[in-house]
Amino acid sequence: MEGAQSRPIPVLSESGVDEVDLTPVRTYWQLVRQRFVRHRLAVIAFFLLSFLVIASIAIPFLTGNAWAKTDLTLINKPPSLIAPFGYDHLGTNTFARLMKGLQTSLFIGLSAVTVIVVIGITVGSIAGFFGGWVDNALMRFVDIVLSIPTFFLIVMLVAFWGTGNVWVIIIAIGLTGWTTAARLVRAEFLSLREADFVQAARALGASDRRIVVRHMIPSALAPVVVAATLGIADSVVVEASLSFLGFGINPPEASLGNMLTGAQDFFYRNPLLAWYPGVTLVLVVLAASFLGDGLRDALDPRQRVEV
Amino acid sequence: MTVRADPQMLLQLQDIRTYFPTQDGIVKAVDGVSLSIRHGETLGVVGESGCGKSITALSIMRLIERPGRVVSGSIRLGDRDLLTLSDDEMRDVRGKTIAMIFQEPMTSLNPVFTCGSQIAEAVALHEGVSGRQAAARAVEMLAQVGIPDPKRRADEYPHQLSGGMRQRVMIAMALSANPELLIADEPTTALDVTIQAQILELMKALRERNRMAIMLITHDLGVIAEMADDVVVMYAGKVVETSDVITVFEQPHHPYSKGLLASIPRLGQKRHRLEVIKGVVPNPLNLPTGCLFKRRCPYAMPVCDTPPPFQQVSSGHVSRCWLTPEGGPPAVGEAPSREVAEEAAAALSVAQ
Repeated sequence: MEGAQSRPIPVLSESGVDEVDLTPVRTYWQLVRQRFVRHRLAVIAFFLLSFLVIASIAIPFLTGNAWAKTDLTLINKPPSLIAPFGYDHLGTNTFARLMKGLQTSLFIGLSAVTVIVVIGITVGSIAGFFGGWVDNALMRFVDIVLSIPTFFLIVMLVAFWGTGNVWVIIIAIGLTGWTTAARLVRAEFLSLREADFVQAARALGASDRRIVVRHMIPSALAPVVVAATLGIADSVVVEASLSFLGFGINPPEASLGNMLTGAQDFFYRNPLLAWYPGVTLVLVVLAASFLGDGLRDALDPRQRVEV
Repeated sequence: MTVRADPQMLLQLQDIRTYFPTQDGIVKAVDGVSLSIRHGETLGVVGESGCGKSITALSIMRLIERPGRVVSGSIRLGDRDLLTLSDDEMRDVRGKTIAMIFQEPMTSLNPVFTCGSQIAEAVALHEGVSGRQAAARAVEMLAQVGIPDPKRRADEYPHQLSGGMRQRVMIAMALSANPELLIADEPTTALDVTIQAQILELMKALRERNRMAIMLITHDLGVIAEMADDVVVMYAGKVVETSDVITVFEQPHHPYSKGLLASIPRLGQKRHRLEVIKGVVPNPLNLPTGCLFKRRCPYAMPVCDTPPPFQQVSSGHVSRCWLTPEGGPPAVGEAPSREVAEEAAAALSVAQ
């Protein structure tokens, strides 16, 4: 064995390739970026979402507690330079409050999706890779979770563990939402397990873990990425619904959902109070969907890049 | 039945049996195969589809999918028995000492990664080198297997390459750790004839330069004639004839080998129909007793109801058939002699 290792690899000079240019080549991710950039809507969505994320972090940071401060002298005042969206029924700066609410909603959305993806990939890859009774047991469990009306389960979990707690909401959404991701990963794994290139990787001495991490998860990733970005949209909507019903984030904390609740009482006097969080919600959901679309195309190596 | 450690021998298979339990019974895909490969030698393994060629190769690699299992035998590599190695030790043997390439270059590469990164991965698996070094080695390997403009090709995905190119990439991956044995399972079957010739030439050249042995699995006797030093003919999970390549082509002894050779069309032959071996491979769940080939054999005799033992036809030429070395039927009083019959019966009982 030692001898085999130290033997030099002979080069076929007869093949006419004497000099080998060793400068590094374009990587997978460079190609992904090139393909993503060609998807115009996705690029717009990406910038919009980035803008919303940055604004929702920066503005509450810069304006301190403006999102929570009430001033009875400013109730329902029209827009001005420091309050581009005016003031609400409590005299709070609507723009500042909207940004804080967006921050809460996006945080919940992203965290819940992280939980969903982690649980989904773990369960799905274990089921798909090992197959047999492991697969059967896990997939029947998925069926059970799927058969429960998700939203009511979330409401129940939140009511049980404590309303108004951000982490409870994240865990509740995560624990009920991972089934789709798990099914997608499992389905991909079932077909990948039989793939010739997996067999070839085994024949080259790759370990099970390496095969799963390096060969199977990347191939199964595209649908998961799409599901995850759509999951962000879903989670934001679920959070908004929970807060709207009073099970989620309660005032004085801000979220897009409870801003909508607050606005409904004043819908005829000041309909804009509902429009601001409503439109923001729509923008987040749309941007996340288009982003997912663009990523799906970008992550698919069968798409060619014309350079 | 002990295996002598012969320093010339790279790999020795002794009485390998690989069985697959199914709902209808046990499929004995490989049933008592013994063969050996010397350092630097090319061993051709021929036989019809389903005769156990590929399963033998996968048994060597220990890549038999459950519920299939190598139930007995030994696979000697140097002074180790591959069947007794731990999974980790076996993983180290794969790729580094024994590498394997498959029939389908179209699907044997991961579509998600570039060819270069896949070769680099194979390099990194067995040698602790940095990513950049591995990538550089990958380009070098592509050049070695005769891919023009290797730097650009390294950057391309498998779908951007032709079948022949992909098989070259597979060979590059397999050779990246400079193995001592390359198992090639029908490496040219999926390629057209001119590309076949190129790939075979490449394998020959690499064999000389890397001083590696090749176990070439094929049903194409032309490929065997081109490449092999020694030949193993398999039928229904058993070896039926072994010899050097010239003997098999000029003086085949086993009726199955004769049939295979007769079924090759020849240039200038004025015949309207191709020679065929009548019948089909027996159902592995319902094998005939005695000689497995007797139902299709033009020489079948009553004695064939007893499993034939191996006999030495000439030096280095072994055949599992009752016919005498001269090709005639065995004398009535002589066969089966008591010892031979007992041995054969013992082999049969082991098989069951």
